Parts: sequence; C-alpha cells; structure tokens
Amino acid sequence: MNFLKPNFSLSFDPLSSFFVFVILLISVPSAVFSVGYMKNQYSGKKIALGWVLLAAFVMSMAAVVLVKDAFLFLIAWELMSLVSYFLVIFDSEHAKSIKAGVIYIIMTHIGTAFIIAAFMMIFKYAHSFDFAAMKQACAVIPAAQRDVIFLFLLIGFGTKAGIVPLHIWLPYAHPQAPSHISSIMSGVMIKTAIYGLIRFVIMILGVNTFWWGNLILILAAVSCLVGVMYALMEHDLKKLLAYHSVENIGIILLGIGASMVFSVLNMPIPAALAMAAGLYHLINHAVFKSLLFLCAGSIYKATGLRDMEKLGGLIKTMPWTAASFLVGAMGISALPPLNGFISEWLTFQALFSGALYGTGSVKILMGIYAAVLALTGGLAAACFVKAFGITFLAMPRSQAAKEAKEVAPSMIYMTGFLALMTVVLGLLASPVIKILSRVSGYVLSADVSAMSVSGFSLNNLVVMPLAGTYLSSPLIALALIVVSGVALGLVLLFYGKSKVTVDKTWGCGYYNLDSRTEYTATAFSKPFRIAFSFFYRPYHKKEKIRDSYYHVKSMKYETSITPLFKKYIYDTVISRVFGTANFLSRMQSGSIHFYIAYIFATIIVLLVFMNRF
Amino acid sequence: MAVTAKRITALVNGFMLQSLFLFLMTLTAAVTSKENELYIIALLVLVLKVVLIPYFLKWIARKIKIEEGLGLYINPILSLLIVIVLSYGAYMFSRNIMGIQNRVETASFAISLSVLLTGLFIMVFRMKALAQVTGLLIMENGLFLAAVELCGNMPFFVEIAIFFDVFVFAVIIGIFVFRINELFAHIDVDKLTTLKG
Repeated sequence: MNFLKPNFSLSFDPLSSFFVFVILLISVPSAVFSVGYMKNQYSGKKIALGWVLLAAFVMSMAAVVLVKDAFLFLIAWELMSLVSYFLVIFDSEHAKSIKAGVIYIIMTHIGTAFIIAAFMMIFKYAHSFDFAAMKQACAVIPAAQRDVIFLFLLIGFGTKAGIVPLHIWLPYAHPQAPSHISSIMSGVMIKTAIYGLIRFVIMILGVNTFWWGNLILILAAVSCLVGVMYALMEHDLKKLLAYHSVENIGIILLGIGASMVFSVLNMPIPAALAMAAGLYHLINHAVFKSLLFLCAGSIYKATGLRDMEKLGGLIKTMPWTAASFLVGAMGISALPPLNGFISEWLTFQALFSGALYGTGSVKILMGIYAAVLALTGGLAAACFVKAFGITFLAMPRSQAAKEAKEVAPSMIYMTGFLALMTVVLGLLASPVIKILSRVSGYVLSADVSAMSVSGFSLNNLVVMPLAGTYLSSPLIALALIVVSGVALGLVLLFYGKSKVTVDKTWGCGYYNLDSRTEYTATAFSKPFRIAFSFFYRPYHKKEKIRDSYYHVKSMKYETSITPLFKKYIYDTVISRVFGTANFLSRMQSGSIHFYIAYIFATIIVLLVFMNRF
Repeated sequence: MAVTAKRITALVNGFMLQSLFLFLMTLTAAVTSKENELYIIALLVLVLKVVLIPYFLKWIARKIKIEEGLGLYINPILSLLIVIVLSYGAYMFSRNIMGIQNRVETASFAISLSVLLTGLFIMVFRMKALAQVTGLLIMENGLFLAAVELCGNMPFFVEIAIFFDVFVFAVIIGIFVFRINELFAHIDVDKLTTLKG
C-alpha cells in the first residue's frame, strides 16, 4: 500500500511556480470583481457559498500544480472538477445551468478516467506515485505501452483543456457560470490541463516519438480553426468567448507540440523557444480572456443581457468597461504592441524555424501550421470587431441596453488592472521571455543559457535577423506611441477646430433610423458564413405570410449553422448508448424474482466455473 | 424444513430452528475457545434470531391478515431435490477449495454455502415479500456460520454491527411489506412489475 503514504511535500520548481503565478494573477482580480458582481444579484447566503466555493476552487487549482505525487494530483484534480461543477450550476434556478453542469461533469469525468488509467499503467512499473519515481520508471516502459499512456493522457487532459473534438462542454459550461468564475475557469482552469500535459507527457513520460508532437500539432491547428470559426457565428457574448478559449488553447498547444517535435529532432533551441512561446501565450490568454469575461460580466450586471443582438451603444454609458474590453479585444486579436501579438509572433517564429531548419515532412507541416495560425489570427480579429462593434457601438438595440449604467468601481478597477497587464505583458516582452525561457529550459532540461546571454537574442534563428538586435520591443512601442501621437496631433491640427456636429450614428443623413435598421452581428458574420459554408452547413428558413402576391403581411427568416461535432460525433454516440440501453431493458422484467434469479444463476455459474479450475 | 414449507409460519419456524442450531454452534465454539466475545455473540443470536425476528415476522404476517400460503413456483418435493443438488454442488466446490484432507473445514464450508444457496433459492422461487425477507435472513445465517467456523470469528465490532444491520433490515422490510400490503392489498412481489420504469 505504498500509494497510501503519498509524498505530501509541495514542489516550487520553475514550472509549478509559473502556474501558481498565473493562477493568482487571475484569481485575485476575479475575486475582487465578484464583490461588486454578486452584490444585489444573489442572496446573502448564496454570496457566502460563492466565496467558500471560490476559495476551494483556487486552492484546489494551486494544489494541482504544486503537488509532487500523482495520487494527490488526482485528488486535487477531482476536487477542482467537482468544485467547478458546483460553480457552473451556481445559478441553479436556470434549467440551462443544470444542463451545462451535466455536460461538464460527464466530460470531465471521462477525462479523469483516462488520466487515472494512464497513471495506473505507469504505477505498474514505478510501484509508486511519486513524480521522481514515475519518471525513472518511464524509461523502462515498452514503446507500445508508452504510446497508449500518451494517448490516454492526451485524451484526459485534452478534455479539460477543450481541444477539438473534446471541446463540447466549454461553450455550455463557461457561459452559465457566474462571470468571475467563467473568467477563472477559462483563464486558468483549462490551463491546468496544459500543465498536466507538460508535467506528465514531456517531463515524466519523456518525448521520444515523432508522431506525439505531430498529433498534438494537428489537434491544435484544428482547435484553432474550429474554435475561432464557431466563435464567429456566436452571438452570445460569453459563448463567443468560450469558443475563443478553444482557439487559444490551440495556439498554446501549437507552441507545446512544436516544442515536442523539435526536442525529438534534437533541436534544443527551437524547442525551448516554442515552449516559451506556448507558455507566453498561456499567460497572455489567461490575462485577456479573464479580462473579457469580466467585462462580459459587467455588461450582464448592467443590462441583464448576454445576447449581442440586443446590446449596443454601451460605449456611451459604460466608457470604462468599453475601454477595458477594447484592450482585451485588441490583445486577443494579436494587435501590436499588446501581449497577444508577442506570443503569436513567437509561435510563428518557432514554426518558421521548423519550416526552415526541419527536414522532410516537418518542413511542410510547420508551414501549414503557420498558415493555419495566420488564418486564425485574421478570423479572431474579425470576430472581435464584431464583438466590440455590435456590443459597444451604434445605438442600443433594447431598452435594457439603453438604461445601462457603469458598474461599481471595484469591478472597473479589476478590469482596468487586467487591461494594464495586457499592455504590460506586451511592452515588457523581453524580460518576460527571459524568465519563460528559463522555465522552458527546466522543462526540457535543455541548456538555454545561449538564449539568455544578452537579453533574448534570436540570432541563432535567422528568420528575422534584425529583430532583437537593433530594436527592443519597448523601443518599438515608443516609436509606435510617437508615431500615433504625431498622427493624432496632425489630425487635431487640421480638423480640431472644425465644429462638432451631433447626429445619429451611422445615419448617413437619413431621417428616421432606429436600432432596427442597424447592422447586426448575424449580418456581420454573413460573409464568413458564405465563405466557409462547407464547414458551417448553414441552414435557412423563410416564411412569408401573404395577403396576395403583392402584399407580404409578415415575414420570418431563420438561419443557423449545423454543429458538426455535436451532430456527427456526440449525438451518434448518445443515440447508440440509448439504443443499447433500450435493447438491454428487455432484460428488466421488473420482477424481483427475476433479479434475484440473475444473482442466483450468476453464483451457480461461478461455482461451476471455479470447480473447473 | 424451510424449503418444503408452504406457509409463512412454517417458513419462519424453519428459520427459527436454524437460528437455534446456529446459537448452539456458536455456544460450542465459545466453550471450546473460551472467548468472552463469542458468548456475547451467541447470546445475541439467541435473542435476535431465535426470538425477536421470528416473533416480529409472525406478528407482521398476522397483522396484515394475508392468506397463509407462500405462493410456490416450484412444489416442495422438487424444491427439496433442487436444494439437495445445490448442496452437493456446494460440497464439491468446498472440497475443491479446502482440499480433501481438511474434512472439518470442508464440511462446515459446504454447509454454510448450501445454507446460503438455500436462502437464495427461497428468495427466487417464493412469491410473497415475507418469503424474500426470510430468505435473506437465512442467507445471512449461512454467512455467519461461515465466519464463525472458518475464521474463528469476525472482529467483535463488525459482528455487532452486522447483527444490528440484520435487525434493522428485518424491521424496515417488515414495514415496507406492511405498506405494500396497505397500498396494493397484497404482498405478491410478482405483481409489482408494473412499477418498473
């Protein structure tokens, strides 16, 4: 019973410390945000419950990344899943929350089952759940078993991370939780799965097979595209953000997967760079995604709405929230000089260096991944133009949006703080990369001192030989600020004195426009729906009620997209399960005698069977 | 006796007699091993299984005023034959497990196993809910016998807890039977099939 005496000590190695830092960086502002958010929305008892659950949630996440024993890891992992389940169904009076919770807990338990299976397989060799012992034992596991263990870990952690096609729970669970919880779940919790992958696959199991990294890269590329494409079609603000989590997990995994490929190909520097890029995008995504979720929470608090088609014009009534949201949207769209740009740029560098220096299929594949990432970035930008434009600009599309008021200061300060972090992580790129390269060097046990001699120099990756030598990123930022300042000055100089005319937004001089004539989110995404119709399989329905041929009395137009993964994977599985259950229910006569007879027959058969052997 | 019983009172009497033998067994074991705990357990067997539970079952049977018949799926003679075959199977099995030279262990394990199977047999092939309760109690007797004969005894607290369980079980099932009778005016388990989902 070795595993019943687990190693209770905590590890503060670079990897764990990095993750604890990310957890605290997101959880603390979200917790402060919740003070204003939960007020007047829940009863006092419920608020107290919310705090208890929040504290348990954050502590269990910290435990997940800190423990040094797989047994304790599982306990912390399950605790995290259960507490987050209770947080998803926190608004338990909505039927939707319960449904989301059920989907979430089923998916997360399937994932955990795979993780447990993988741990058991390692335990068979290690006879201990201690990380160090497991690592030693993994060297002697035969290759075929290692592959199985890897696949189990990938499915297990992939479910929590939400890689396609295991992402099904994210767009249900994240929007239903209270906003500060969605911010932690999307910002941090799904990252613990990335931690699991790094810790167990890269550090403990050890990567020595080429296709592992490639599989992760393919799944990551698919996640990127699928995530952003569904996000583009989504009009529920929080659901949109949840789909973006799928996309960003994909980007993070592009870095991690590339790093695995490079380390198999014995290219330590690109491997460390790719890993650092992945980790950088991880912290960036944590920051701007929780920022965006908190802003969505502010909007919900102010208007009670999440549907973008009913919002609009909030920039006038909620300027601070709008500003923070804009910063987050720019960050997630990877606009320089914000943080998203830096990490995506680094990921590109890693992929390009693979395309340049790799051999054979690596050359082609890396190029394709880079192209996918580029497409993803473009679509993400389009998506956030939609999200920001429809939500904050134009005229309010409903009474609730019209009457919105700016939220409490504690909420504004926290979104402001995260917006500031978005800027800071962008501008202080080179010291951050230095720290992260140390983490990635520790993970890969590679010598990265060459990378951090004089700052972070990319000279050994001659993709852009001048980058990093003449211009550091603060300098670039300074130049940008100067240029935009000059531009602003010129604009003010020429147009500043002209009279301001007040008119209706986007009116084009037309006299009687109201919010119904505005551009909608559906309309905005129409071109994409057409361009990618092979994937979306859009569905239209028109209904006209006419008096005569010339007079249409009323008209109804419906459009939606086909959820491919739900329809073709999950619905199939579910219908099979129900089919089998129906088949088996013939056995259920309902008579107690039969049930006891089943037991009786089983015992007799077992006795006879035992007699034989 | 329990197998061939056609009426509830007879079945309960069979159980009572069996429990009495169980009490004697335990008492013998206590005298030979001189363990105080075994005396207490033997006393518990006497009080609970020989007196209280049978009394309770009979009281229930009287209280709900059902007809006495158990509702047999298989007639007494055939039942007896089947149980004999089962006992033979149990003996073969225990000889396989214990080895031929350990005669005492083989015999006692075979007995407890056949008691278990007999209890199960009664549960399956008798209609009335009270028969199921008694069948389960008989099975429990078989388990208890196996524990006393093969392992000396179980830890004392486990023993006590099991006794308590059995008693509470009998009470609860009794109440259920009572309620079933009140609701449906019968306790034929067979007729409860409409309740299935």
